[in-house]
Amino acid sequence: MDHKYLNNMLSEMDKDLASKGLSRRDAMKLAGISGASLLMGGGTTAEASTEEIASSGAKGKIVIVGGGLAGMSTAARLTLNLSNPDITVIEPEAKSVSYQPGQTLVAAGIWDADDISYNRDDFVPDGVKVIEDKVIDFQPNKNEVTTASGQVVSYDYLIVATGLQLDFERIKGLEYAGRAYSSGDNTKLLNALGESGICSLYTAEGAVKTWELMQKSIEQAASGKKTKFVFTHPSTPIKCGGAPKKIVYLTNSRLKEADARENAEIVFYPNGGAMFGVPEYHDAILAQFKREGFKWHYRHNLIEVEPENKIAVFDSKWQEKGEWDPVLKEFEVIAKHEKVRVSYDFLHITPPQLAPREVRESDLGSAKGWVPVNKETLQHVKYDNIFAIGDIAQVPMGKTGGSVRKQYKVLVDNLIAHMEGKPLTAKYAGYTVCPLITSIGTVMLAEFDWTVKPTPSFPLDPTVERWVFWLMKVYALKPMTMYGMLSGRA
Amino acid sequence: MQVKFEFVIYDEDLDKFNLDENMYLLELDDEQTETYNLIKDVDLHLYNWFQESEFFTDWIKEEVYPDSIGKKIAIGHINDIAFLRFYFFKVTSGDIHYEYFKRLFNLYHESDWQDREEFGEEILEHLMIKRQELIIELKEDIPEEEEGDDKPDGNDQEASE
Repeated sequence: MDHKYLNNMLSEMDKDLASKGLSRRDAMKLAGISGASLLMGGGTTAEASTEEIASSGAKGKIVIVGGGLAGMSTAARLTLNLSNPDITVIEPEAKSVSYQPGQTLVAAGIWDADDISYNRDDFVPDGVKVIEDKVIDFQPNKNEVTTASGQVVSYDYLIVATGLQLDFERIKGLEYAGRAYSSGDNTKLLNALGESGICSLYTAEGAVKTWELMQKSIEQAASGKKTKFVFTHPSTPIKCGGAPKKIVYLTNSRLKEADARENAEIVFYPNGGAMFGVPEYHDAILAQFKREGFKWHYRHNLIEVEPENKIAVFDSKWQEKGEWDPVLKEFEVIAKHEKVRVSYDFLHITPPQLAPREVRESDLGSAKGWVPVNKETLQHVKYDNIFAIGDIAQVPMGKTGGSVRKQYKVLVDNLIAHMEGKPLTAKYAGYTVCPLITSIGTVMLAEFDWTVKPTPSFPLDPTVERWVFWLMKVYALKPMTMYGMLSGRA
Repeated sequence: MQVKFEFVIYDEDLDKFNLDENMYLLELDDEQTETYNLIKDVDLHLYNWFQESEFFTDWIKEEVYPDSIGKKIAIGHINDIAFLRFYFFKVTSGDIHYEYFKRLFNLYHESDWQDREEFGEEILEHLMIKRQELIIELKEDIPEEEEGDDKPDGNDQEASE
């Protein structure tokens, strides 16, 4: 943690609070009350039941594929709620448990890599077996999975929590980077990104590299040389939709801190046509972009890089008026494309993301690769003894840890109900949260669900950037995740 | 109360719909008018109600398309409520139809990350199924005693399972 920076931040906050007639103590009281509310999971309309259910005597062999945050939290909660649990987690990576929301903070030099990466075995609940291997084949009709070493593991109930893959190889010029997971050894990916001004915080090691590159680029700007910072957002669903913008804001903060902002051009190229899916947050972000002097170009999808020339190539899309449709009585809308070449000094890539091959090509996956589940119960639409959670589950939004925090309780309640032959009554309402860092010291806490409306946990305007949410992001959310969720309780 | 209808004709061989540009008027009795007013705000409920009502299919067979047993049709308009987007949507259709089908087929995504072409194709996949649900086949009336002997619905269901 950068304590010097924190002290400066707190000093600035004190000044700001004093101007509003508040002491830090008063403000912390507010933060404490509100934070406690959040930690207890209260205050939203999108709640799963957080009441402890009675320990169930239901029996059956449960296999969890994937030992990341979603898989291990689910294993922990199942052990709390089953009197005789028979749970096996299949996970090849020893460092599979990570606090991925912290990767943006690592990328901006606020946290170290050690702050977000953990040993899987430190979070294995008592009695849960771990198979250190990778599932390469699912046979849902036989209730079996096969691992890379050839071991066939049978189950009565299966939970798919594999996460997703970062598809760098889809970008021309980075084919040799391959596909990567956020956790684990990503040396191949880092080597592929090289020293040519390209970085990506979507892996822990990549976040460290991002900070190194950011410092070099800021030094360049501070020396008086015009420096161009380019940021991307791809055309696929991604984990944490806010992260591509958080790194924009954090870079801006670090540039201002180094008194180098005036020599920096910050440009954001999202594939979509808006800053955020929730209109209220879109409007707030747009106002922040204008205030900070960022540039942005909607409907640009990164398709190619030329590292040797420091050129990023985007597929730029727009629409034109077409022929008159006499039946629907409207003009057709014609989609147009063209390649746009953009030079950069610093290029942050948010990679395209997809379901792992073994899921995508199995009977479990949908046409798009994700595991199709009932979005409320998280039960597979075809196999009633299979559930999915986290990034791999095909739910309409929210590939975030905040979503998993709601999902895992729903999944456990419903799995146990299914094991007991009862109806599935727990429902996930689509809640997700994106603490959108807008500077070092401020966060806009974007909470929403399938209503596509803000669903704030606090009695405060959710579109306002606040330092109390920064404190919560930096200090409260990680302990809640690591010690609350991973023990199956928060 | 009079209700104004327009229809489309389904060409099974080409799997396409053709407009019937005529307009047809149906007189509803008091009870039917009451039902109409209750459900008129939900377009597909209204469609389903007519589709499943004997008085409506009898009217079509007797007055709209007499002597057309075997013909497959669908409703294009009920008063000012249009259903044409179901039969004539294409990838190049306007945003208003994309928004309608996103809600209908629950296709919301966290942002508009999908390319228009890809999203349009996804809507068309859903429409392939939905269109079949909307089609009204003009069948010959089956006398009650024969219906009991043949049990066509029960047999069909068993076969499909």
